[in-house]
Amino acid sequence: MSPFILSILLLGLGLGTTITFASSHWLLAWMGLENNTLAIIPLMAQHHHPRAAEATTKYFLTQATAAAMLLFATTSNAWLSGQWHILQMNHPLPTTLITLALALKIGLAPMHAWLPEVLQGLNLTTGLILSTWQKLAPFALLLQVQQTNPALTIMLGITSMLIGGWAGLNQTQLRKILAYSSIAHLGWMLIVIQFSPSLALLTLLLYFIMTSSAFLSFKLNNTTNINSLATSWAKMPTLTSLAPLILLSLAGLPPLTGFMPKWLIIQELTKQGLAPTATLAALSALLSLYFYLRLAYAMTLTISPNNLTGTTPWRLPSNQLTLPLAASVTATNFLLPLSPPILSLLTP
Amino acid sequence: MLMILIPTLMLIPTAWASPLKWLWPTTLTHSLIIALASFTWFKAPSETGWHSINAYMALDPLSTPLLILTCWLTPLTILASQNHMSTEPAPRQRTYITLLISLQFFLILAFSATEIIMFYIMFEATLIPTLIIITRWGNQTERLNAGTYFLFYTLAGSLPLLVALLILQNNTGSLSLLILQYSDPLNLAPFTSKLWWAGCLMAFLVKMPLYGIHLWLPKAHVEAPIAGSMILAAVLLKLGGYGMMRITTMLDPLTKELSYPFIILALWGVIMTASICLRQTDLKSLIAYSSVSHMGLVIAAILTQTPWGFTGALILMIAHGLTSSALFCLANTNYERTHSRTMILTRGLQIALPLMTTWWFTASLANLALPPLPNLMGELTIITSLFGWSWWTLLLTGAGTLITANYSLHMFLMTQRGPLPHHITNLDPTHSREHLLMALHLLPLILLMLKPSLIWGWTA
Repeated sequence: MSPFILSILLLGLGLGTTITFASSHWLLAWMGLENNTLAIIPLMAQHHHPRAAEATTKYFLTQATAAAMLLFATTSNAWLSGQWHILQMNHPLPTTLITLALALKIGLAPMHAWLPEVLQGLNLTTGLILSTWQKLAPFALLLQVQQTNPALTIMLGITSMLIGGWAGLNQTQLRKILAYSSIAHLGWMLIVIQFSPSLALLTLLLYFIMTSSAFLSFKLNNTTNINSLATSWAKMPTLTSLAPLILLSLAGLPPLTGFMPKWLIIQELTKQGLAPTATLAALSALLSLYFYLRLAYAMTLTISPNNLTGTTPWRLPSNQLTLPLAASVTATNFLLPLSPPILSLLTP
Repeated sequence: MLMILIPTLMLIPTAWASPLKWLWPTTLTHSLIIALASFTWFKAPSETGWHSINAYMALDPLSTPLLILTCWLTPLTILASQNHMSTEPAPRQRTYITLLISLQFFLILAFSATEIIMFYIMFEATLIPTLIIITRWGNQTERLNAGTYFLFYTLAGSLPLLVALLILQNNTGSLSLLILQYSDPLNLAPFTSKLWWAGCLMAFLVKMPLYGIHLWLPKAHVEAPIAGSMILAAVLLKLGGYGMMRITTMLDPLTKELSYPFIILALWGVIMTASICLRQTDLKSLIAYSSVSHMGLVIAAILTQTPWGFTGALILMIAHGLTSSALFCLANTNYERTHSRTMILTRGLQIALPLMTTWWFTASLANLALPPLPNLMGELTIITSLFGWSWWTLLLTGAGTLITANYSLHMFLMTQRGPLPHHITNLDPTHSREHLLMALHLLPLILLMLKPSLIWGWTA
């Protein structure tokens, strides 16, 4: 892809998200979302093979449906209340519809089915953009909508956690596993979003850091399924030995960074008198832990000379920048002692 | 505290910077110096019971023996792993030592934390190095299964604990161990408070482990390399007992009624697991089940909520920590020579390795609680406190003691006595490293007979 086109597309991505961030009017916010979708579509389809085309089509259709639903909900909101302002939503019908539309946009269960399919068709860089940057704009809108029905976000959250955990169990493709991991993490954010939006934002940012380490290390390894992980010890020994920590941090084990959002969310839920929900949420993390653990087994804990499942591949020097990976891996593993300053940074 | 913590952290540069030839001696010496320095904690006069206090950590007579046990065990694990690791490439040897060091670091923080959430985080943090030790350096392919069991049993028990602790924090406003026992009891609905009680204890009951939720332990022990088995039996199980003793002071009016089924189950487990030991063919599995049996006594003692129960539990935990670790080392010396854990294949070793038999003899006698070893002191104190709780427990504890004596003798006779089978006539002779290892396990046990008040805990 020509660098001019690429830079225009990336600018478009940035512009769309910025427009949505800056808008207080639903129409402008919707325009930002559409801009975002249209800018990533050429990026998705840049490699001409059927999987990419299929993924792009699926992504386009779901995003268009979500956007249409959003437009419909906001228009009916304007019709019912005479308001286009994002922060002044008070009618339950449009609020629910908007929440569901945004849930479809970021891929929350039960509207999640497109996400693994789409992610599977993309290369890891575009996949990383899809599971980080593309979540920001819809999430910013979700944070601003005043929920009228508290059960809705909790149900979306719990369903996403459980489905993200269960459906990831029998996957062998890394991108699908990462997609289900994204669904489960978004579930954690949704469950707390109406009680403490800043905590949901914190979870989202930490998820970005952790998932970036996972995506970037898989990209550096050039692996897209579990089997080929087994040879990564021959390519990058240090990264391979750090990989279980990255994966267990995604799973949320203390003393790694991933425990921080889970801890704070459980604390917030118990404070709201939702201890059973908190317990369910905590135990649902075990489902996801199982597939992260299996990745860790395949990548590091059974490395040579203990296994013969993979032959050593040809080693080509990689020209990928490793500094972002190093920074994100460090943040993925060691941020927990810094939780008080991080929390106070994000709490208004 | 920092006097121990900083040298512990500095062990990591020692492990990575020393030349390979000196890697094991230097890390051993360094960690042994830390262990010796930790003895100064025994001599800490204090009127409130707490000493060496800083912002996040403090020691009291309950945690001090466990902390010193932790510091003492690290050089022993390094000493024990030397042969097992000698065929590995240098970076992996260093990584392995780093994992052992990180375990010591997390365990020190866990035992000395004054905030329960800090304790919780460190309690969980020990899972990752242990998991990596088991699944990366174990010998059979079943080790992955064992690692999964270990992780999931522990986490499924301890995630409700986090919720229960946060409920406690929301109600009392603090989770500091220094003041929590003076705070008012929680005001929850009757059913909720029962669930809360179970949530607080389940993590530790799984970790101990209680009979019925113990299946992860034999698997983990059998598959773990020697250092993993040692640290698991000697210290990690004791995290459960320590946590129970800390948390039961806050569960006060509820435990009196709710502990009935758990005490009975623990005592029943003593009999059951000891009987399993009797018919065990796998040496490491036998020692693992013997741990479950001993820990059953500890659980019952702690749940009786008496000073004698607490004292007996702590004595037995320390004594069992040294004894079971010693037994695992002995099993490993056999394993390194015969490459088999099956007892029927490694018989009559007295003829081949006579001095080793002395160690086997001492360790087996310690395991069956021979007077006047601290093991006996612990068991007697526990049996007394249980007898005070209900006379009928004597049936279970008495039978348990009997079966324990039986299987310990069975283990000793099976491995050491009788004719030497023909297939193991050309064994390597014993190394002085192994004798040093056994001496460092059993000397503290023998010396503790002279001043047992060091491990009496709160009643000392």
